[in-house]
Amino acid sequence: MNEKTRFMLALITPAALVLILFQVVPILTGADASFRNWTLHDPKRTWVGFANYLHVLRDAEFRDIVLPNTFGFMIATVACSLVLGLAIALMLNNRFPGRWLVQSFVLLPLMVAPVIAAIMIRWMFNDQFGVVNAALEGLGLAPISWLTQRWTTFAVILLTDVWLWTPWFALILLAGLQSLPPEPFEAARIDAASAWRTFRYITLPMLRPVMVVCIVIRAIDAFRTFDIVWTISGGGPARATELFSIYAYVEAFQFLNLARGSAAAVIGAIVIVVFALLLYRVLNRFVEVSK
Amino acid sequence: MADIVLSNVHKVYGHVVAVTDINLAIKDREFVVLVGPSGCGKSTTLRMIAGLEEISAGTIAIGGRVVNHLQPKDRDIAMVFQNYALYRHMSVRDNLAFGLRNRRVPADEIAAAVSRAARILSIEPLLDRRPHQLSGGQQQRVALGRCIVRNPKVFLFDEPLSNLDAQLRAQMRLELKELRLRVPTTSIFVTHDQTEAMTLGDRIVVMKDGVVQQVGTPLELYRKPANRFVASFIGSPSMNFITLRVSADGEHFALACHGWQFRLPARRFPHLGSHVGRSISVGVRPQHVRLGAPVNDDQIALNGAVTVTEQLGDEQLLAVRLGDGEIRIAGADPDLSLPTGTQIEAAIATDHLHFFDELEQI
Amino acid sequence: MTDIAAAPARSVGFFFALAPRGKAVFFALAATAVCLLFAFPVFWLILTSLRTGTGVYYVHRGTEFTTDNFHEVLSQEIVLRALFNSFMISTLATVLSLGVTATSGYMLSRFKGPIPNAWFSLIYIFRCVPYVAWVLPLYFVTQKLHIFDSYWGLLLPHIAVHICFFSWIMKGFFDGIDPSMEYAAMIDGCSRWGAFWRVAMPAAVPGLTALAILCWLYTWNEFLFALILTAHETPILTVVMAQFVHELGMEWHLMSATAVIALVPALIVTLFGQRYVIRGLRI
Ligand SMILES: Nc1ncnc2c1ncn2[C@@H]1O[C@H](COP(=O)(O)OP(=O)(O)OP(=O)(O)O)[C@@H](O)[C@H]1O
Ligand SMILES: [Mg+2]
Repeated sequence: MNEKTRFMLALITPAALVLILFQVVPILTGADASFRNWTLHDPKRTWVGFANYLHVLRDAEFRDIVLPNTFGFMIATVACSLVLGLAIALMLNNRFPGRWLVQSFVLLPLMVAPVIAAIMIRWMFNDQFGVVNAALEGLGLAPISWLTQRWTTFAVILLTDVWLWTPWFALILLAGLQSLPPEPFEAARIDAASAWRTFRYITLPMLRPVMVVCIVIRAIDAFRTFDIVWTISGGGPARATELFSIYAYVEAFQFLNLARGSAAAVIGAIVIVVFALLLYRVLNRFVEVSK
Repeated sequence: MADIVLSNVHKVYGHVVAVTDINLAIKDREFVVLVGPSGCGKSTTLRMIAGLEEISAGTIAIGGRVVNHLQPKDRDIAMVFQNYALYRHMSVRDNLAFGLRNRRVPADEIAAAVSRAARILSIEPLLDRRPHQLSGGQQQRVALGRCIVRNPKVFLFDEPLSNLDAQLRAQMRLELKELRLRVPTTSIFVTHDQTEAMTLGDRIVVMKDGVVQQVGTPLELYRKPANRFVASFIGSPSMNFITLRVSADGEHFALACHGWQFRLPARRFPHLGSHVGRSISVGVRPQHVRLGAPVNDDQIALNGAVTVTEQLGDEQLLAVRLGDGEIRIAGADPDLSLPTGTQIEAAIATDHLHFFDELEQI
Repeated sequence: MTDIAAAPARSVGFFFALAPRGKAVFFALAATAVCLLFAFPVFWLILTSLRTGTGVYYVHRGTEFTTDNFHEVLSQEIVLRALFNSFMISTLATVLSLGVTATSGYMLSRFKGPIPNAWFSLIYIFRCVPYVAWVLPLYFVTQKLHIFDSYWGLLLPHIAVHICFFSWIMKGFFDGIDPSMEYAAMIDGCSRWGAFWRVAMPAAVPGLTALAILCWLYTWNEFLFALILTAHETPILTVVMAQFVHELGMEWHLMSATAVIALVPALIVTLFGQRYVIRGLRI
């Protein structure tokens, strides 16, 4: 082993040790559980092969509700936060009085613990005491029981997630905007390009690498969202808003079948790994095209 | 004492062969220039000497010691990078002192060395600035200063002048020559600019596609280029090449192409004998074509119509149609009025003709 | 890297395209809307924290306000301990995560070949694994190592989470730094470590600062790991807050008061750090 290889290995050793001990080992342990019979009447934990996987894949709940929910949620939250975050970043990229204040307000969600935000928002959407229904009444509209129907619950969850993550997009895109070279914009001014065309044909393409990185990272995280959904709806009403990490959690800890929960988690992991690798390909292509 | 010897050095990146079989002996205090077109492996060679790149095969020795497995820091060299690579979080003074501090030189010696280098390069007023507060030429000088404070065995330069404007480049070239007199040190200088190569180098190494084409003094390269590539690369404007067919004609060889032909005495050009019946490339530098008819037997004539003229003030450059091709002529009187289409007559001394086959000079 | 703070802001917004005439009005409206949207839940949280225990049911109607909630919360020993613990964990996790991932990101940025590729694939794939597949076995691992409910038991898993994401971002930072500076340092007498530590790291400071701030905020607000990997020995603020609502029967006023207290350090960090975050966060 030459000196360069030793240096490379030394650079990653601390990270690799922590990663293996606290991520790889637990995940493999969990994966091991997914191949066993974990029900209470089998204390020996017999090896059952792919039975748990087959069960999950055959479960109509998983196929017809959980997977569409998860992908729908991922696409919706990433799209909304991206558009909103881009709009805010563009706004903050201008000099105007009070910019610092607006920027600080936009960053507020980063400072609040997501669980607390979720608890707060659940309370705001409460049927009887929530401020949202009070406002609706004040406007002379009928109150809505937000958290007892599938789509309204979904909307509230989405709103929370977008609220939490838009600042993150805004920050990174603003940093991206500020690091763009000024020459193309100057050239566009000389070419008399309208503001819209400047945005569409110069800002957007130059910002694309940053946007793609944001999208990939955020899509992976959205796919495994757990805490805010758990806090707001617990997957309800009647498991209608379960994402796959909730599904795995419910299987493992409420139906007390750790094996089945692990199998669901592994399936989800495989789905998102494949999805992420595809996204990464796209990312690479995009970044090269725009260079 | 600090000579550099490269023996059979190769460099391969995966499947890309960057440098093939370089053999080169650089004497102590010699200033050698590596020159060649972009991507020919100059930087790779330099970086192998610096120890920044592993050597795929062969050996490199500095001062008689094989350095293949030595770290850059242990080779006692200094290097100037194309973009200067100044430490942007340090002041100029700290940039200069960094290498000495790494070697645990006492503080008073460091201070003395820094102020000496600053004086040589006249950057004393800049010592407390940061690199981003300097102009390109000043950064360049700091980068040079970083080399000379250390008093290393070898200087390596990787296109240090290419980011400067033409005027500054000419000035820095002179300063580099002065620096060589004050701080004589074995140096290797990489450039793709033949003017820099000609003016700076004691010897020049011309490379192409990872292969050394010729090694020699500037005059040797100019007068006796080993092959067509070197001939075209060295000299400005670059050499004219005309493809001519050789045939035997009694005591003479006749060389002809469409629209031009001339005869050369076989006695004086015996090496053309083996090319009778074949086409060869004849090269002639623009400076060696004179306007006017031949004045003696050692000159050959050519006629053609002017296509383009370039006025340089002290001379004119002409392009003249010759058969199917064009020939460029330098050194024409700037006051001559030569509108396009003017028929002119010119002469070339046969001594100045170069003959090339596909591989080398005949 | 040029100083972007000094560069004039460029008008590239599509707000101008939408409303070239009523630009200022439109702009002010948009800015206000954005502020309201992002501030409202936080405003609501603060309002709730100032009401009495039952006042929470008519937050938007009543007019009585009190600061008793804060007194009550701050007199509970567990809240104070949780504040201290959360602060320590966030700070230590930030320092250690950055230390560990700076080297890993540097390696990914500067080297090519099978080892970096393997490492990159590893962290990319493990970033995709959902927490549920992970927290329960993690609980067993910390038990086995006898670090459950201790600083290390929470710190190390946090670092593990950060490794994937931060290594990637750090790689971006180092990609933006010209490696010839390190070559110069190596020729100037530094070892590879010296070049990394004395030249590459100082040049990456803006990026590191940004990441440090985000990392601190993230850890400060993290809930799931804290919930599963700690118990009475090491109370963590988010868990303590959530327990006001879950176990002791809906003590909204106390939860909000604690949340507002938790907001203060985060607010300080963000307000002072936002310039550095925006300057440093260029991928
Ligand atoms: N890290 C690398 N991986 C693969 N190929 C490389 C690498 N570095 C250089 N090469 C290849 O090696 C060859 C020589 O490169 P080198 O940088 O030495 O050229 P150069 O003569 O310095 O050119 P220039 O004048 O443009 O600097 C090129 O074909 C280049 O593509
Ligand atoms: Mg080069």
